[in-house]
Amino acid sequence: MAERMGFPASIERVESLTPTLRRFVLSAQKQTFPPVSPGSYAALEFEDGEKVYKNAYSIVERSEDGRDLTVIVRLAPQSRGGSRFLHEKGRPGLPVWVGSVANLFPIVKTARRHLLLSAGIGITPFLSYLKKLRSVGADYTLHHFCRAEERPAFEALLADQDQVRVFVHTELPSEVGLADWLQDEAIATHVYFCGPEGFMKWVEETTHRCGFAPGKAHSEHFFVPEGGRPFEVILARSGRRVAVKADETLLEALEQADVDAPCMCRGGACGACAVTVLDGQADHRDHVLTEAERASGNVILTCVSRAKTDTLTLDL
Amino acid sequence: MSGQTHVRDSYRPPFHVENSEETILRFPFPFPEDTYMYSMNVEPHVRGGPVEAMSHTFDVDEHYIGECAEKARILAEDPKRCMVLPHMRDAEWDFLELGMDSLSSDYPGHFTLKKEGNDWRWENHLLNISQSFVFGDEATLPQAPFEYMARQMQGDFTLHDQRENDLWMDGGMVTSQADWSLKFDMGMSFRQWHAPVPKASEMGIFDRGLRFLLMLQYGRPVRRLNWTMTINPRLDTSPENYMIWGEDRASVTPENVAEKVHLRVELQSLYRLPRSNAILFAIRCYLLPIKDIMTVPKWRKRLHRVLRDLDPALASYKGLDLYRSTVVEFLRPHDDGAPLSVGIQPE
Repeated sequence: MAERMGFPASIERVESLTPTLRRFVLSAQKQTFPPVSPGSYAALEFEDGEKVYKNAYSIVERSEDGRDLTVIVRLAPQSRGGSRFLHEKGRPGLPVWVGSVANLFPIVKTARRHLLLSAGIGITPFLSYLKKLRSVGADYTLHHFCRAEERPAFEALLADQDQVRVFVHTELPSEVGLADWLQDEAIATHVYFCGPEGFMKWVEETTHRCGFAPGKAHSEHFFVPEGGRPFEVILARSGRRVAVKADETLLEALEQADVDAPCMCRGGACGACAVTVLDGQADHRDHVLTEAERASGNVILTCVSRAKTDTLTLDL
Repeated sequence: MSGQTHVRDSYRPPFHVENSEETILRFPFPFPEDTYMYSMNVEPHVRGGPVEAMSHTFDVDEHYIGECAEKARILAEDPKRCMVLPHMRDAEWDFLELGMDSLSSDYPGHFTLKKEGNDWRWENHLLNISQSFVFGDEATLPQAPFEYMARQMQGDFTLHDQRENDLWMDGGMVTSQADWSLKFDMGMSFRQWHAPVPKASEMGIFDRGLRFLLMLQYGRPVRRLNWTMTINPRLDTSPENYMIWGEDRASVTPENVAEKVHLRVELQSLYRLPRSNAILFAIRCYLLPIKDIMTVPKWRKRLHRVLRDLDPALASYKGLDLYRSTVVEFLRPHDDGAPLSVGIQPE
């Protein structure tokens, strides 16, 4: 496809919520943004003159008239540059390309009750959930976990919500009794969770222990691809070799080398970037491949995963 | 397409459906090669394509008024041909918006849409409909939004909710189907509603197809062609009415084969709907009798080769067993065996 998919936009407003959280309102430059379903993300592209950054962020809100999209960006300590750049240089007027908009974390519309669990930045998909669940009169509860110093910021974010349904906690989930609350949920409840890896692991294990069927526990891993040991890929179809540096992803290295590699979410969540591995051993960091697929050793998601061996040969 | 002002087609006895030369040449002939087997024949649904039928989001042709009238008749006889589960409300509005936006921009002479915020005015000049309504407020339309729009479009439509890494048929309007039933398939998952199809499952087609569709993105619709054969120009070959049309299959003779036997092609297109995250599956049916296919040398030769060599399991599944040999015998003298170009274009 010759036509570049997406929407040209620019930063309209920036608000600091906490020292590490900033809200960006993006304004469409040409046609308006499409309506978005709760839980959607947008892949944003922006550049500092030297480097092009491509990151996916949950869409917190799309304005009724379609002119604005709102995202909240966390300054991650392990940021490879994108979030850091937005925090430092993301001022009104900065051009941003809104690429693919998709939803990997939708509300289950047939659920009888929705239990939303978030920690830190993990609240962002639920800000769009809450609006929808309230407007359709659904049965839902949100428990949000954060550090004590961030409490006022999150309470402010949730100020317009139905206060009998949203709770902000500064203790750990295990300390407030979340395991008991999960235990007491009815069988028809769907649980959704999003937050840092430690939180995710705890909720995953606890819901499993409480007997939630896999189809009733839904999660979105906020995956910031981390760097790692440099390695080299060999493109079997052309014989070309592409070096992957310590601070870039395999996908970025392929794009830099003008290789037409598939991709969508850029966060190891959708599976669109799967490529066949012909030789070498992958270091899987995604949330998509099944155990069997990992064991087969012949597929890799280029957006987050790396290599355990010095070279990887790909069917590209 | 021009000059349509009244119902002139009849899709039930006494049958009367005539195709102009333009309609014949814009037909989406389904065979790019001389043999046929299932494949992931999915491509982006972009403007342009080997035949004119693919050049709009939703194709409108000279049978528009006749097909809408037949659809209205079927719905009056059997209202349950249109069903939508309550959790698909957002998808209904998504569908109405997609239909009105694309029809009015693709065919401005036939359809007009004016929007002021949520106050919309829709005019369908072919069916003499004009309607002011509030987008999002069902009470301002004469029917629910999906039904309202689907009645004004050729072809069948189903709405699919996405959950648990699967697609669920949770709504639709189905009146021109090739022997499947919305009443039966409602609420089924992707693999469940495809269960009757032979071979494709072992070939891994459904696993790959589902994986692909779960990632379908807004603004990037895709399309594929599917085909079967139908005796007489009947749009409604439903299981519900099998007692009416089933016996037609035994009525084909060497004398009537060119008139009676139709190649039935579905131009299927799939769209991610933005508000609901649902998927719209549009199934537009084209019926072309053998006598019309005969006028295009490439198509009549290729149809002969495909039918002659078709896998028996596929032929049975498509219901061709009673008359396939009669069609092949009829076409054989008109195929000189010359090599044909790859692709579905008439040449």
